[in-house]
Amino acid sequence: MLRIAFQAVFLLVVAIFLLYLWETATDNLRRLGIRTDFRYLRQPAGFAVPDSDFRSSQSLFDAVLVGMQNTAKVALLGIVLATVLGVLVGVARLSSNWLVRRAAAAYVEAFRNVPVLIIIIFFWLGIFLRLPPISRATEILDLVVVSNRGLVVPWFEKVGSGAAFGVVALVGLLLAAAAWLWRTRVFDRTGAAHHRVLWAGGVLLAVLAVGFFATGRPWVFQTPERGELATAGGFRLSPEYAALLLGLTIYTASHIAEIVRGSILSVPRGQSEAANAVGLSGFQRMRHVVLPQAFRISVPPVANQYLNLVKNSSLGVAVSYYEVTKITQVSISQAAPAVQAILVLMAVYLLFSLSIALVTNVINRRLTLKGR
Amino acid sequence: MIDLVGVSKWFGEFQALRDVDLDIDRQEVVVVCGPSGSGKSTMIRCINRLEKHDRGRIVVDGIELSDDLRNIQEIRREVGMVFQQFNLFPHLTVLENITLAPRHVRRWNKAKANEKAMEHLRRVRIPEQAHKYPLQLSGGQQQRVAIARALAMEPKIMLFDEPTSALDPEMIKEVLDVMEELAESGMTMIVVTHEMGFARAVADRMVFMADGEIVEVGTPEHFFTDPREERTKQFLAQIL
Amino acid sequence: MATRVDTLEPVPAPERPPERRLPPRDWARENLFGTWFDTVLTVVFALVVAWLLYRVGKFALVDARWEIIERNITNLMVSGFPREELWRVWAALLVLAASLGFGAGALAATRRREVEEGRGAPPQRASALRRAGPILLLVAVLLWFAQSLQATLLTVAVGLLGIGAYLLGRRVSLRATRAALVVLAGIALAFAVVVAFGGVGWHDWGGFMLTVFLAVGGILLSFPFGVLLALGRRSSLPAVRVVCVAYIELFRGVPLIAVLFMSAFMIGFLLPPGVDRPSLVVRALIGLVLFTSAYVAEIVRGGLQGVPAGQVEAAQALGLSPLRITTRIVLPQALRSVIPGLVGQFISLYKDTSLVAIIGLTELLSVSQNITKQPDFLAQGLIVETLLFAAFVYWAGAYWMSRESQRLERRLGLGER
Repeated sequence: MLRIAFQAVFLLVVAIFLLYLWETATDNLRRLGIRTDFRYLRQPAGFAVPDSDFRSSQSLFDAVLVGMQNTAKVALLGIVLATVLGVLVGVARLSSNWLVRRAAAAYVEAFRNVPVLIIIIFFWLGIFLRLPPISRATEILDLVVVSNRGLVVPWFEKVGSGAAFGVVALVGLLLAAAAWLWRTRVFDRTGAAHHRVLWAGGVLLAVLAVGFFATGRPWVFQTPERGELATAGGFRLSPEYAALLLGLTIYTASHIAEIVRGSILSVPRGQSEAANAVGLSGFQRMRHVVLPQAFRISVPPVANQYLNLVKNSSLGVAVSYYEVTKITQVSISQAAPAVQAILVLMAVYLLFSLSIALVTNVINRRLTLKGR
Repeated sequence: MIDLVGVSKWFGEFQALRDVDLDIDRQEVVVVCGPSGSGKSTMIRCINRLEKHDRGRIVVDGIELSDDLRNIQEIRREVGMVFQQFNLFPHLTVLENITLAPRHVRRWNKAKANEKAMEHLRRVRIPEQAHKYPLQLSGGQQQRVAIARALAMEPKIMLFDEPTSALDPEMIKEVLDVMEELAESGMTMIVVTHEMGFARAVADRMVFMADGEIVEVGTPEHFFTDPREERTKQFLAQIL
Repeated sequence: MATRVDTLEPVPAPERPPERRLPPRDWARENLFGTWFDTVLTVVFALVVAWLLYRVGKFALVDARWEIIERNITNLMVSGFPREELWRVWAALLVLAASLGFGAGALAATRRREVEEGRGAPPQRASALRRAGPILLLVAVLLWFAQSLQATLLTVAVGLLGIGAYLLGRRVSLRATRAALVVLAGIALAFAVVVAFGGVGWHDWGGFMLTVFLAVGGILLSFPFGVLLALGRRSSLPAVRVVCVAYIELFRGVPLIAVLFMSAFMIGFLLPPGVDRPSLVVRALIGLVLFTSAYVAEIVRGGLQGVPAGQVEAAQALGLSPLRITTRIVLPQALRSVIPGLVGQFISLYKDTSLVAIIGLTELLSVSQNITKQPDFLAQGLIVETLLFAAFVYWAGAYWMSRESQRLERRLGLGER
């Protein structure tokens, strides 16, 4: 009885506090003649978003959606790159090669202990914006054009019918899957080494190569051409995007590297000893015993780093990359009501965070070791 | 079958093995006992190179243990090992635990590996647990799976490193029974254990170690009834 | 059965272990050129590392124009702080050095006594010089740029006072909680020295000083909130639990910059009419505290979960009240084990204070951007120099703290066994 009473009072106090905040806020806003609803989202934005076809006559709601897209663009690629780099560095930290080991440790200690914001701004102001203008741009191997307008990398340009090639790609995937199954069965039946990855990859590549020429080369690999004021062809990464992406990648990779190293080290020594004792080779020991267990251990902390990366992508605001935070900041400066705009911003990040947490939980549950 | 000559081993400044000489014949069952820290485990861990000996020579089934990786792999294939802490792979089922090495090292096909694995599981009397995960089993069952896993490679020699020390009392017997049967089937075995009943019943020879050296070697009757060394007497007085 | 066993000889005196130090050639073969793959790796890495070292070294020692840092070192450290009141900062540093030195000395004495009495693990050996390395490097770099005899002498005085207080503390020996109180009192006194009696309020603080203030103030204020939230999250009352979980997950789910925007833009609207909006420093601090408490709560929750259930049961069996059980049995044990986690959170907060530059505070990062706009240095691309300097200052502090926290973690880990 006492418990229920206490909880009721507690909830009442919290509710009154929140209500009070809400009342003062709406009162203050009304007095200042600022609207207190969310209908402002239907107003025209009044600003353009660089590197997108967003027009300033579109609504603020659309602007938020574009911002979310841009957040996703930098966060997803950042997650992929940071994972690859982080795993490489983490494994390098355990290398038997002294130089590799020390270089990886130096990388981790250097970047882990510096604010990610400084890294991002350094890439932006210190490197990308100080590159020469396009007329004097550097070209690396005639493939990448580097200038203060950003990085232009070669990309595929569609010239023919993509549909036919799409069918070819599908067939290639199916054949690769078939090769995979076939090698697995050979391995099961005879015990011969399966080399599944080699076989499936080879089949896929072969089909794609043959299909590419058979369907009349639907894509051309276009290297960027440097003009006087602009580049033609290729895919351009703006200095802002490149700085944010690189900063997030390098910083997050230094954290992921520590997690990878820690998880490999935390697989009990007895596991390696047992693997050795039954005669597995070093590679087999890693592949079948150590890595599967290290992977399980590393899933929650790595997912946490992914979350941090998504949240840190909000630092695009400092380098004028128009992700959702920058969009919010600009729209507030363009007279959108600050309170509502910030609430929308927080809701957007909660959406991102909760969806990542949800996926992690599902994966984690499937990976949990079965015990009693 | 196994020949240790003048084997010494240091951990930093601490000398774990001092000039150990031991010669074990085919089908012989040797029980090693001694106080903790006496180097028993270190000795048998040197035999399949889980520890590297610093001095002396170890020859297993005609192959000398050197830094040559191929020799090490060869020896490990011939020597099965059972650990105090079982060290089963928790992410694999019992069957997968047993077939992993035969399939990837011996290159047996799946049917043969599974069939053999079931044979070994029947031998350790838990065929019905084949598709469970190790952590779902009791300690005694886990240790029997570990024995089956070691046997699956069809080793010529089995090493047991205190196989019953981590078990609850009621589970010790089921593991010892399996080991006894194995000994009767003619397996060459080195067993580090404090189970003196088992030693008396099964051992061909007893080895007593203390402070990193072999203090006394003898037949069980001799060892238990009439030990020569003072340190052996003291140890037996404490343990029996 | 040909087994020789020498049973009659006495135990031989321990031989020397075989020499483990390899001659350089063998060492290189084992660690650098083991296989052909290793050799390739070594060569590639050596080339890349040498190139990087050359570029960085050449930049730092030859190309860089450090003049901008030399002329602005005071700006970078305190920004708009009135120059005629700078003595207050030095006085505060002296107070801090004295209290930190005394607290550390007293703790060290206690630990030594514990070890002598056989409780607690012996400390790992590491020379004081090595442990303080990053901080000494930082101080040396700052003094190098300051090029001022006065600053050097004052720094030496701060150092000597710290060492003196340490030696004094070693004769006193205090328990951890008392030592923490001494340090807290020192922090409060240092704060008073700067602010009180016609001093300088925090709205005029800036530069590295503001960075440190926000980080220290943020963690100290977050701690009580975090503990309450953690206890609430573990409460048996569903209503309390739900509210705490909602708070924690809300603030952990959004980026710090969104929280800072919120406190910068929204706090003004949440106050009743007639109440003045607090200064931007205060609003930033509120944002940092709101955000950090959620993380502190999760760290403390981890510590609470680590306290064995048997402890609570034993206390219940003794008839202690729930409040007593929490404050006397559970919390002390939990808080001890969360110290490394809290240090880690403090390091992130220290790095994250750089974000207040975005909402317009002039802490270290924003000063280092602003000084490149001075007429003498405008448009000369000196941002590289200033950002590297700022990065180094952050790095030295964070690296030093993370190393110390690893030491602490190992020690606590050893203590538990």
